[in-house]
Amino acid sequence: MADIQLEDPHFIAKLRQGDPAAFGQLVKGHHNMLLATARTMLSPADAEEAVQDAWIAAHRAIAKFEGRSLLRTWLTRIVINQAKMMLRKRGREIQFDPTNDPDALAHRFHGDGHWQHPPQHWELSSPENLLTREELRRCMEKHLHFMPDSQRLVLELRDLQGLPADDVCNMLEISASNVRVLLHRARARLFEMVDHFQETGEC
Amino acid sequence: MLKCQHLVEKADALVDGSPISRRERFALRLHLLMCQHCRRYVRQLRALLGFLPREEKPLDDARTEAILKKLDASRDHQSG
Repeated sequence: MADIQLEDPHFIAKLRQGDPAAFGQLVKGHHNMLLATARTMLSPADAEEAVQDAWIAAHRAIAKFEGRSLLRTWLTRIVINQAKMMLRKRGREIQFDPTNDPDALAHRFHGDGHWQHPPQHWELSSPENLLTREELRRCMEKHLHFMPDSQRLVLELRDLQGLPADDVCNMLEISASNVRVLLHRARARLFEMVDHFQETGEC
Repeated sequence: MLKCQHLVEKADALVDGSPISRRERFALRLHLLMCQHCRRYVRQLRALLGFLPREEKPLDDARTEAILKKLDASRDHQSG
């Protein structure tokens, strides 16, 4: 819903003309999503500050938004840049080298590339499993927290925000193949986690 | 024939619509027809993406106001 409105040319025209009500709608509808992105890189308090600064930067620049990218991409790029500045201030940066972390599913295969430990059958969709699903969600959040920053960030941008792969490459300044590998590693970790949860009932 | 491990490495494109060649897509589909473990993997990978904790709630009015106020303050600061 919010997206249809966000990319609507009339809405964008209003934003560019400096319509305060339109900017208010933009903040209301998208702040939490942008905050979720910033939180993949920063502490909660720093993430709040980075997104606040991003709104200030976006407000100054919106008149010059030319619609060459999605508005969502444009906003996310501003947030990523603010978050990177914040990281630099803290003397940190995100390492995007995907070879740092092994593939979480690699040990499940024989040397010949066939399954040695195939996936369990997951029973998560039935309504009586609501409690299990709540536990699973908590477990997932824990694993997301301990995931390498680069994987969490790419997962957030691609699978949660649904941004196009090309846009993600550009805003993170990494190659398409690195985005692909990081996303695969992130998903493989979570797949492994859910499979373990399904088998043992433990996180 | 395509190995299971290779399918798992390439299956991301099947679930998120990333571009792959027609030839590669055909090889993946063919493997899935014959391999129930890999069919399960792909089905559950899709389910997994649906379980990710999403943040889609709009911001409440009070906090929206607070952010807009800071925008005004920064603009006044800039012009003054």
